[in-house]
Amino acid sequence: MGESELRRETGGDEPGLPREIGHDEFDPTGTLALITLYFLVLVAMWLFTYFIEFVDNDPTPMLLT
Amino acid sequence: MNIHAYERLWVAGSMVLIVGFIATITYGAVGLGITMVDDGEEPLAPDEIDEDERFGEPRVEEVGDDEYEVYVVSATFFFQPDPIEIPAESEVTFYVTSRDVIHSFTVVGTNTNTMVIPGEVSAMTVEFDEPGEYGIVCNEYCGAGHHDMEGELIVLDPEEFEERQEENDDDVDAIEVFDHRTATAGNGELP
Amino acid sequence: MTELFAERYPEQARLVRAALLTSFVALGVGALFGLLQALHRTDVLRIVESPTYYTVLTGHGVFLVVTFTIYFLVGLYQWAVTDSLDRGPVNPRITWVWYGLMTVGTVLTAITILAGFLDDPPEVLGSELSADVLFTFYAPLQGNPLFYVGLAVFVVGTWIAGADWFRTWWAWKGDNPGERIPLPTFMVLTTMIMWYLSSIGVAVAILAFLLPWSLGIVDSVNPSLTRTLFWYFGHAFVYFWLLPAYMLWYIVLPKLSGGRLFSDPLARVVFILFVVLSTPTGIHHQYLDPGIAEGFKFIVMTNTMFLLLPSLLTAFTVVASMEHGARQRGGEGTFGWLRTLPWRDPAFTGMALAGLVFAFGGFTGIVNAGMNINYLVHNSVWIPGHIHTQVGTAVALTFMAGGYWLVPQLTGNRLVGRQAALFQVVLWFVGIVFMTNSMYRAGLDGVPRRSAEPQYAFDYDISLGSMAELDAQLALGGVLLFISTILFLGIMALTWRNDGTEPVVDGRIPPALSGPEDAPRVIDDLRVWTALAVVLIVLAYTLPLVAVASRGGLFGPDITPLPVAVDYWLPVLADLVGASIG
Ligand code: HEM
Ligand SMILES: [Cu+2]
Ligand SMILES: [Cu+2]
Repeated sequence: MGESELRRETGGDEPGLPREIGHDEFDPTGTLALITLYFLVLVAMWLFTYFIEFVDNDPTPMLLT
Repeated sequence: MNIHAYERLWVAGSMVLIVGFIATITYGAVGLGITMVDDGEEPLAPDEIDEDERFGEPRVEEVGDDEYEVYVVSATFFFQPDPIEIPAESEVTFYVTSRDVIHSFTVVGTNTNTMVIPGEVSAMTVEFDEPGEYGIVCNEYCGAGHHDMEGELIVLDPEEFEERQEENDDDVDAIEVFDHRTATAGNGELP
Repeated sequence: MTELFAERYPEQARLVRAALLTSFVALGVGALFGLLQALHRTDVLRIVESPTYYTVLTGHGVFLVVTFTIYFLVGLYQWAVTDSLDRGPVNPRITWVWYGLMTVGTVLTAITILAGFLDDPPEVLGSELSADVLFTFYAPLQGNPLFYVGLAVFVVGTWIAGADWFRTWWAWKGDNPGERIPLPTFMVLTTMIMWYLSSIGVAVAILAFLLPWSLGIVDSVNPSLTRTLFWYFGHAFVYFWLLPAYMLWYIVLPKLSGGRLFSDPLARVVFILFVVLSTPTGIHHQYLDPGIAEGFKFIVMTNTMFLLLPSLLTAFTVVASMEHGARQRGGEGTFGWLRTLPWRDPAFTGMALAGLVFAFGGFTGIVNAGMNINYLVHNSVWIPGHIHTQVGTAVALTFMAGGYWLVPQLTGNRLVGRQAALFQVVLWFVGIVFMTNSMYRAGLDGVPRRSAEPQYAFDYDISLGSMAELDAQLALGGVLLFISTILFLGIMALTWRNDGTEPVVDGRIPPALSGPEDAPRVIDDLRVWTALAVVLIVLAYTLPLVAVASRGGLFGPDITPLPVAVDYWLPVLADLVGASIG
């Protein structure tokens, strides 16, 4: 792709791109951080919803003996 | 394929999540013993309900020591029997079928919740630990009066429940079974 | 190639405009109905009688998740195929044929639904013209035959649309032997394969059972069977709404962020996973159905959980692409780069907020998928909570944001009111937070969905806050969403008529950081994935379908139809009241 292609702006009022980053120089560290947080939030919400909201909402259809 | 190391890490994390969710649910089924409404009951056609020994007369029945069965018929827009009285600390199995369209039988504020499909019977075994009063609603749209379809579940202290049973036995005539068909035909208002 | 889409492909642009216009009209009507529901349920304002609430709700469901979403889809996909293959269809007349069929179907179905508002609907085809059956039309609730005819014609229209896109691609392939399928076209084709495989279910339900039954040709149906066929289709149906939004996130959002798609091969893998896994999961909508073995439910639960994978992968790829843009714009730090994203661009902000809502809604989807935990949430108002975070926002808000980007290219006009548009997408976000916060919490406390008056003789046991507060949030959220919709439609209308201006938008899509050449060729072999999908569907569905059909009979254990029209019920209701008093 041409450089000008990357420089082009969508909204119109933003400044041009200060730099161009290729595939090999790019490590999405921010994404890794965000997604790790997401992982932890999912685990916490799941445990809460399953073991507090659901299991405590008894009675639940069960095998009783 | 050229996959970034972080992305591979995330694929692994995703698999951990997925397996973890499946494991939790399996634990609920195997460890806690939670059962799903399933195909364990024989199908029952709506026009056979009145002749059926369980649903012909919707009721609560004692079937063993601290074991009860409740036969519930749902129809637009009510449940029979209503109210349902059961004892706490007993094993109670609800059997529910429908006379007409799809309904639900849902004890509000609990996990006692099932779809009710004409032609099928839903079964759920539960135990209430404490006496209390619950609302029963139909949570599947079943026609213009859907929001009026509610019932009452009264969970009594086991001793109180015994006393009520005895009173009723003395006075069998007082039990009036509401029969949808005769009631409506008797009123002669259906076209 | 610097020209606008409207200039390069005037004929195609006309079709895409027509599709988007229909889509937006449906959005407007649907939003009005949504507002009525939000106010009615909470007893803030009841304009219609409660039985008529279900006419409104049927319209809301059908107009929004059938008309609004699918018209946007066909418009977007027509754009995507044309733009990425850089050619028009083989026969442009076919394109108008499918658009016409879809529209005839929509009009028929809409008429039957809206006739439900009449005091005394006319008789058509042997029954009253109305269809208060909601968008799931579970038998034995029965709508007028035209309701089913309209749906069938509409679906046939979409089938031809898919065939049209395949044909365009085949023609392109002839001219470009050995080239990889461009990513947008790849997404279109895989979506349509999923749609063909799944919509067979609803087509059979309608053509073999419901339509003949509503016409009186057969006396009875098996409600479990038509329901199972509906859900055979139903889960892929929800991905049919979602995949065009995914396309915008993969193709347009990285560009709007000032970056490039992180990985083209992974985007392809994601779409393939949807083809393969979307259909053999439908029974998760029937976890609480009697007559289906627990074992089948368990298998479907595991399939559904694996279906999380493509969405989790998408989260990474899309966020990484945004980060790429932010870094190119000079963003620094672990989280600091977020600030350099183009938050003033309504198209970007709308899609980013939609993605954020989707990340949360995804969690509630996991709960819905969780088999036994379904006892907690099934048919409570938690479910519309999930619906509105997912299709009602992740999809709808992405479409609106996509509209801000696409419509100028389709009309050749400059977007009117960028500031207002930015306000509009943020307002939607705020509205949806209020409305779904109320729905999720009320649902956990047992408040049912699909109810005109969820106020009963008993009191709900509200664990946090109060019912009054939950109602207030639902009503407020509904009002904000409605205002946001009107604002969106206003901006669109003004842009449409903003002749004589130059759009500032640039339609060029930069290539991915890791391009298709990094993906093995087998990925583009659609036959392999189709075959795999068919095998999984046969494995997952043969036994349950046979079981359901043999339990109740193909045409059911003599089930009487219940035509759903208000008048019909009045004598029955009067009768019941009489019976319970007498
Ligand atoms: C103005 C914005 C909206 C408002 C105020 C609104 C409000 C509501 C409410 C209150 C319900 C629950 C009704 C009930 O269960 O009793 C509902 C259901 C629903 N909404 Fe919306 N909604 C809006 C936008 C949307 C959008 C954009 C979509 C999809 C694209 C959507 C799809 C649905 C669906 C599928 C249902 C379930 C229908 C059913 O149960 O049959 N809504 N809506
Ligand atoms: Cu109901
Ligand atoms: Cu689903």
